[in-house]
This record gives sequence, C-alpha cells and structure tokens, in this order.
Amino acid sequence: MSERNRLRSLFTLVWLNGVVPIRDQPLYILNLIASPLSFLFFIGIVSHGTYLAYGITGGMILTMLSVGTSLQSDLTHYRTDLKFQDVVVASPVEAPTYVAGMALSELVYSLPGLAVFVVIFALADFVSLVSVAVLAGVLVLVWAFASALAFTLATYFRDVRETFLFSPLISLALTVLPPVYYPISALPAWAQLAARFSPTTYAAGLVQGSVGLQPLPIGDALVDWGVLVAFTAALFLLAALKARWKEP
Amino acid sequence: MSIAIRAEKLRKVYPKSPPGVAALDDFSLEVRSGGVYGLIGRNGAGKTTFVRIAATQLEPTSGTTTVLGYDVQGQERQIRARIACVPQESRPLYFLNVEEVVYLYLKLRGLDSTEARRRTRDALEELSLSEYRKRSVSRLSGGLRRRTMCAMVLASDADVLFLDEPTTGLDPIARREVWEAIRRASRENRTIVLTTHYLDEAEALSTRLALIEKGRVMLEGTPADLRARVRFPYRVTIQGSFPREELEPLGQVSAIEGGYLVFARETEAREIARRALERGVRLSMGPVSLEDIFLDVVGRSIESDSSPEEVEAET
Repeated sequence: MSERNRLRSLFTLVWLNGVVPIRDQPLYILNLIASPLSFLFFIGIVSHGTYLAYGITGGMILTMLSVGTSLQSDLTHYRTDLKFQDVVVASPVEAPTYVAGMALSELVYSLPGLAVFVVIFALADFVSLVSVAVLAGVLVLVWAFASALAFTLATYFRDVRETFLFSPLISLALTVLPPVYYPISALPAWAQLAARFSPTTYAAGLVQGSVGLQPLPIGDALVDWGVLVAFTAALFLLAALKARWKEP
Repeated sequence: MSIAIRAEKLRKVYPKSPPGVAALDDFSLEVRSGGVYGLIGRNGAGKTTFVRIAATQLEPTSGTTTVLGYDVQGQERQIRARIACVPQESRPLYFLNVEEVVYLYLKLRGLDSTEARRRTRDALEELSLSEYRKRSVSRLSGGLRRRTMCAMVLASDADVLFLDEPTTGLDPIARREVWEAIRRASRENRTIVLTTHYLDEAEALSTRLALIEKGRVMLEGTPADLRARVRFPYRVTIQGSFPREELEPLGQVSAIEGGYLVFARETEAREIARRALERGVRLSMGPVSLEDIFLDVVGRSIESDSSPEEVEAET
C-alpha cells in the first residue's frame, strides 16, 4: 500500500469511527467529558480547593487515557461482534494503520473534553512555553501507550464484556493509584514505591512540574521523560509481538 | 488455467481444541483462477476454517496454502492487497448508512473518492440497495445488512473474493440478486470462494465445488463431475401405489409421503419409469441434485465414520 493510500485509510478510519458516530449520537462527547470533569469536581471539593490544580492536569491525562479505554471496547466489539477486524485483515490495510486510525478516531471524541481542560488550564494561569510543550508531549505519549495497550488487549478478549472487567482495573492502575490527581508526596511511602511502576506517575510528575505545582529538577525531568518514552516503546513492542492481528 | 488458491496437506488444530481434534486435516485443494468455487459441508466441517486461513485471518497448524502464488504464512501483505472477504456472521457498522458502508470500505482499501463513489453507486444498484442508500444500518433488516456486506466486497477491486455464507437470511429474490452480482464478478475473471449451506446456490453458482466433511475434502469437481461420481446418478420419484419389492433390486429406495424416492443408475431408472407408466402411476425423473449427493456422502460418512478414501471408493 502506498503512503498516500495508507493516509487515505487512516483518515477514513478517523471519519468512520470518530466523526460519523458523533454525528449519529452527540451524547458520546458528553460521556467522555463527564468522567474527568467529575474527578476534577470531586478532588476540588474533597481537598477544599487545595488539589484543584492537580485535578486540572490530571483531568487532561485521564482524558487521554480514556481514549485507550474506549479504543479497547470498540476494537473488541468490532472484532468479536461485527467481525470488522476480519474484514480489515483481509484487505490492504495493515495493522499499524488500523490501530493508528482507530486511536485517532477516539481522539476525536476526546477533543471537546480536552478543549474544556485547555480553557481551565489557561484560566489557572498555567500557560507557558515550557508547560504547553511538556503537556503536549506527555499527552501524545499517554495517548500512544494507552492505544498500544488497548489494541493488544482487544485482540485477546473473547467478548466485549471482558473489557468491562479490565477497564476499571487498568483505570485503577493508571489513574487512581498513581499520583495523577494529587502530589506523590500525599501517598504513603509504600504507595509511592508502587506508583513508580505506573507510567502515569511520570506523566503526571512532568506536567505538575512544568506548571510549577511540584519542584522538578532537570535531572528528574529527564528520568521521567526517559521512563515514559521507554514505557511507551515497550507497549508498542508488546503490541507488535503479541497483538493478534491474525488469529493463532 | 492458472491456480488462484492451492492448499496442500493443510492441518488446523485450534489452540483450545480437545486433543486429536483437527478442524482441517490433510486438506488439499486447488481453486482455479476465475469462476466461483463452492465449498459445501455440514456445520463444523471446516469450510470457514479454510476460508479464514486462505484469507490470511487464521494461522494454519501445518501444511501450505498459497493465494495468487503467495504463501499465507509470510507473504500476507501481497495477498491482502488483492483479496476481500465477507466473514461468516459479519455485520456492517450499525451507525453508518448503507452507502457509507460500501463507500468507506472502498476508501479504506485506498480507492480515491471518485472511483469509490462510482463503484458504490454501481454496487448498490446491482444489489437493489439504491433505495436504502441513506438508511442507517441499525434500521435495516438482517437480510439487507447481509446484502450490504456483499455489496461492499463486490464493489472492491479485489481479485479474489471470499464469501462465507453471504446469503444467509436473504429472501429468495434477494438471494438471486446476490447470485447475479456474484456471477457478474466471476465474469470479470475474479475468483470467488463461496461457502454455503444452500445447495441449490452452490449448484447454481459454482464452476467447481468441494464437499468438505470432518476437515477433509470428500468430493471435488464440477457439479456434473460430482453427479457422475455418485453410485446412483438418477433420482426417480413415484407417487402412487407401487410394490416396493419390485423397486428394491433396481436402486436405493426410500419411502416418501404418497410413494417412493428411488436413486438408480440410468438403465434401472428407465426400467422403473417404464413399469410405473405401465401401472399408470405418476413419476418424475431427473439427475440427482447436489443435495442428494451431499446427503449420500455425508450420510455414509456419519454412518461408517469412514475416511474420504473409503467414501470415494464407494461412490
């Protein structure tokens, strides 16, 4: 498949799974805004406003992670119920194009949610060249690893209901236990150690540091970037080696 | 004539199958380029497993399969560029409308907008779907959804089309419209692999066909070849009073409502017809149908649990 055709396939998937369903049912957008905004509201109330700023940065990370959760459900549903993956496999479309297109299509749903957070981000006076660059880089990496993980898992699920089992666990491991919505110092020592195994800890650390919520020495920032990139690369490798594009 | 698909000693054991149970075993087949190749067999016979392996959706356990000269293991990319498939039990994405299903599939395959629009329009027209083109899939009947899936792959630029039970759930008129579209595609020198439970469909469409049972090819050839290879190539239906003992030596007799069904060789069939006419009993006579062959071969396979070689020898 030529590069031009690959791009055509990619944008077709974005249109097909991102734009058309929203045209058909606009409530999808509200659904994806609701979750991170609820967290923001909850954190703000419980912490009496102390962690509200963390809720803003955390909400953006959660919005990108939601892409993975939705992607996982969609890919599983399309594969097991509609046999859409089989239709695509028996066509010139390659697995990376399919995953990238589907992951971008999920981003379409998240854009309104992200836009809301960007406005709040700006109102909170977090905008600087560094913070915007860090935020953009982190969000792209979170989107990438969440999508790679979602694709790998989706090729193993036998039924879309199995995604309902895994999504809360993944959410717990990536957004609740790691310090996405609060500073890592708020966690007990053992939990801080456990949080180090989650890539979102490093993502949150970078964003929180870039907007001045936490001190982030350059050395720590480099380590955080390194771990985040390595984690993303590892999940891409996992997808390349273990995802079942062709059934065994 | 070149070979579009070749399977040699293909074996497939699903990872979680009980020990010793193979979905395909020593499965060998050649599908020539152009025309419709029908695969018939009972549920679980191995038709879909073969289609999925040839369509590069499923890994075989052993053996080789080539499609258009490329190996399904290692040369998938070359194969996928030239195939299209309607998987069994597949459904179009429910939030699209009929036109979008076909058009976006073609765009997904890399066709430009103009070409995709033209092919979409033609395919919808051909399968009498034009009046539904703006209707959401979620509001279509099961038959129309299936027809939309067929339109999708028939509109494609693929050289080999895999249609796994494409007409399940269609009414007789819609089935014939799909048949006509399949015939037209085969006239364009495309190769179509069709699995079906409708034996009249297999007979009406297939240039060659294979009867698959227990993961093996039991019979293979043109519909005429298959007829020629059965023990009794004629079926005679007698309606009225006729002594069964007189029929028994002439063929394989079974009682039906109001008479008998006899499978016989040509000479014996003529003899039965002569005697029936003498008695003034109503009768009809003709070559056996694919269904008769199917029931004969599969029935004996079940009874004797015989190997394909044994059944072949008997027929």
